[in-house]
Amino acid sequence: MSAPRVLVIIPAHNEQDSLPKTIAEVRAKAPNVDLLIVDDGSRDATAKVARAADVLVVRHPVNLGVGGALQTGFRYAVEHGYDIGVQLDADGQHDPAYLGILLQPMFRNTCDVSIGSRYVESTGYRAPWNRRLGMLLFSGVVKLALGQRITDTTSGFRAYSLPVMQVCQHDFPKDFPDAPLLIALARRGFRLAEVPVVMRERQAGQSFYTLGKQLYYPYKNLLASIMAFIRRPV
Amino acid sequence: MEFLSRTQLITALGAVALALYVLDLVRRRKLGEEYSLLWVIATAVIAVLGFSTPLLRSITHALGVLGEASTVFAFGLAFAVAMLLYLSTKLSRLGLENHMLSRELALLRHELEEMRGSAGEENH
Repeated sequence: MSAPRVLVIIPAHNEQDSLPKTIAEVRAKAPNVDLLIVDDGSRDATAKVARAADVLVVRHPVNLGVGGALQTGFRYAVEHGYDIGVQLDADGQHDPAYLGILLQPMFRNTCDVSIGSRYVESTGYRAPWNRRLGMLLFSGVVKLALGQRITDTTSGFRAYSLPVMQVCQHDFPKDFPDAPLLIALARRGFRLAEVPVVMRERQAGQSFYTLGKQLYYPYKNLLASIMAFIRRPV
Repeated sequence: MEFLSRTQLITALGAVALALYVLDLVRRRKLGEEYSLLWVIATAVIAVLGFSTPLLRSITHALGVLGEASTVFAFGLAFAVAMLLYLSTKLSRLGLENHMLSRELALLRHELEEMRGSAGEENH
């Protein structure tokens, strides 16, 4: 059997400063994967710096949010014969050196979604108190819904199998693809696994999470988690 | 539980029914979580005012409103205005994005036609 084809999907919204470094790092540490940059309606030179790095670039004419950018990536992966899609942040938070660890359970076919987690083992990461409270809450929500412990529900460093991407290209949260997504996927029968990774501070650019979103986040994710749990899996 | 009038009871029960309907719309994917937030807050506030006569009385007194019914109406109206304003801003943004998409599509179609044209010339 030939090696599975892996596509690393990097959603990028105004990330011209950090993107070249992130691309170079993936190239250096994971030479066997393909890279797709989804420029999510950036107003800076994100697409230009990506093209200069000679990677696949897809541009959204308007900003769709991280969920929409990932869906475009999934669609691309499905249509171009990839077996695994990896979600990786443009801002340098996710160290591509951990791609091997992230992909290992996928290659062994012991899971359908592999989550790079900051908390599986003590990795020295300390989040601010509000983030920690949120993680504790939604980790509890997932545990309650699935009976499985996912310590890092908000991790944006994940690998998805082809069947998962086939579902997610049509059905994916518009924003915050966290606990509700994991619950919905598990309810469809997909297996989730966590692997320990170390994450870094973001290097440049702006986080997707503003103050208004921080207030809206618990409401939306709690409601969506309940809905993902009571909805009949399609 | 004490109710000032039958209207108060009907309003409170109506608010609860509306809240349940809104949540069911979310469950059936007819309404996004984002849009449900204001509805849930509005129906919850009206229901609390409807079921708690002492609270309704003290708010009415504190605001200097003449009748308890007016307080409930005022809250209802405030939420209706908030919802309309929110929808207007959403609509404006959708309009802008639609405009941008149309322009993008026109340019892409032009590019595609140009490419098709030059490919046709090569064949002849």
